[in-house]
Amino acid sequence: MSIEVISSGLQTTVQDLGRIGWRHMGVPESGAADKFSMKLANQLLNKEVNSPVLECTLTGPILKFLKPLSFVITGASMESKINNTYIKNNTPYAVKKTDVLSLSNCSTGCRSYIAFSEEIISTSFLGSHSTYLPANLGGINGLPLQEGSIVKTQPSKLSSNQEASIGVEQINSYKNEWKIRVIPGPEFILLTDESQEAVFNSVYLVSNDTSRMGTKIEGVNLEFHNKHHMLSGPVHTGTIQCPENGLPIILGCDSQTLGGYPRVLQIAEIDYPSIGQLRPNDKISFIKTSIEEASRQLEGIT
Amino acid sequence: MITLGSFRISDFSENILFISLQQKPGEVELTDLFFSLSEYLRSTKKWIEVVSGEDSLIVKYNLFKTNSAKAKEDLEQQVRDFTYQEQKKAANVLTVPICYSEDFALDIQDLKTNSSLSNQDIAELHSSTTYKVKMIGFTPGFAYLGDLPKELTVPRLTKPRVNLVPGSVGIAGNRTGIYTLGGPGGWRIIGRTPLKLFNQKKKNPFIILPRMEVKFKPISRDEFDSF
Repeated sequence: MSIEVISSGLQTTVQDLGRIGWRHMGVPESGAADKFSMKLANQLLNKEVNSPVLECTLTGPILKFLKPLSFVITGASMESKINNTYIKNNTPYAVKKTDVLSLSNCSTGCRSYIAFSEEIISTSFLGSHSTYLPANLGGINGLPLQEGSIVKTQPSKLSSNQEASIGVEQINSYKNEWKIRVIPGPEFILLTDESQEAVFNSVYLVSNDTSRMGTKIEGVNLEFHNKHHMLSGPVHTGTIQCPENGLPIILGCDSQTLGGYPRVLQIAEIDYPSIGQLRPNDKISFIKTSIEEASRQLEGIT
Repeated sequence: MITLGSFRISDFSENILFISLQQKPGEVELTDLFFSLSEYLRSTKKWIEVVSGEDSLIVKYNLFKTNSAKAKEDLEQQVRDFTYQEQKKAANVLTVPICYSEDFALDIQDLKTNSSLSNQDIAELHSSTTYKVKMIGFTPGFAYLGDLPKELTVPRLTKPRVNLVPGSVGIAGNRTGIYTLGGPGGWRIIGRTPLKLFNQKKKNPFIILPRMEVKFKPISRDEFDSF
């Protein structure tokens, strides 16, 4: 008996760094949609960076502690409270038995992460505890947290080999506008010259159709030189596909592994965490970057 | 002959390389070539992910251990070392029971509007072909099977279904496939199998594997219900 779920929140799931090495069998990466915030949460508690955490979406859960624990919240700010006292993100807190942690809504960003001093007990599948809802893999019965259920925890191994810590200065303060760095994808050249420019010179809006699988965005319709036919090929987290209607789709960490639509852009990995924080009506500008620049930026952080 | 020159290696992102065809090699079956190449590349254990499509593949590398130029060199060397041999021995044939009952065949009318095919004709055409596994992916354990008989070639739905029942068997273009999970899907549904093709509780969760062949065996509604 560790944590009682008083209210589940909109979609709260157990996530870690993801299921790596199984895309060839159709198994997506999954894991935290914003792995930067997820790792930060574990590091702030001095835990192994891959320890499972709770990922909260738009509206967070209300949790009652059934034993003394410590926790930290990162990512989007959901006006969190311990009992009746407001608390801050990125700051560890210790709680007593019967204390209640409640998260509310966020107005910027989309997902918060809660790491606990103890290890969440959850199912591992193909080397990862992350919950993949479409197949009910990992997590707690492959489902989001359920109201009235208990999240069990056990003492955790503290990290012995901590990676370089994430500097507090790298913590994003979210606005509702995103600059996302992209590399032209394999089918970028199929776009008309006008669309090749327009995609970098216009602002796209996040539609209501957004989830861990993908985010449809609205704005300038992209056009192709002529009717093309491509055989289905590999896609990845951060691939931006463009179906016939000309409106791009950003693939998220739970996305399919193969796709038949032109892959017009690929988001640089350093900006994958932003994909997990997009909320409806947010504005996105795509910034063209090079392989060299994107590598340097990714190597610059850990 | 398949050589390094048959392929083009380019950057997909700052930690993913993309292999596409420089030119279509003559008599080779592309999906088999890319399955073989990706199996070979995976066996080198140099890559985080190796994923093949029908005529391309991607490999993901660890940017903290290598870089684009070095990864390309390694990949070129591995492609040079790879020797393609067309599969000689007979493929394993998996028999998948399917019920073409009207209440499962949600989109069968779409096939009948443009042809004179009866339900019976469609069931016979679909189940008389032995299909090759062309690709694996999309969702866990989903296999793209082909080629469909020409008479059954239809475009995808213009608006995908939001919630399919697992086991639904769909067709689109010259492919057929079995939805292993519930959830969205854009293929036209012509039947349902009671067989679970992805089972996370099993030691080998994936039933359909590369190089297999699949044959559908029609079953009645009663057989489906008592499966």
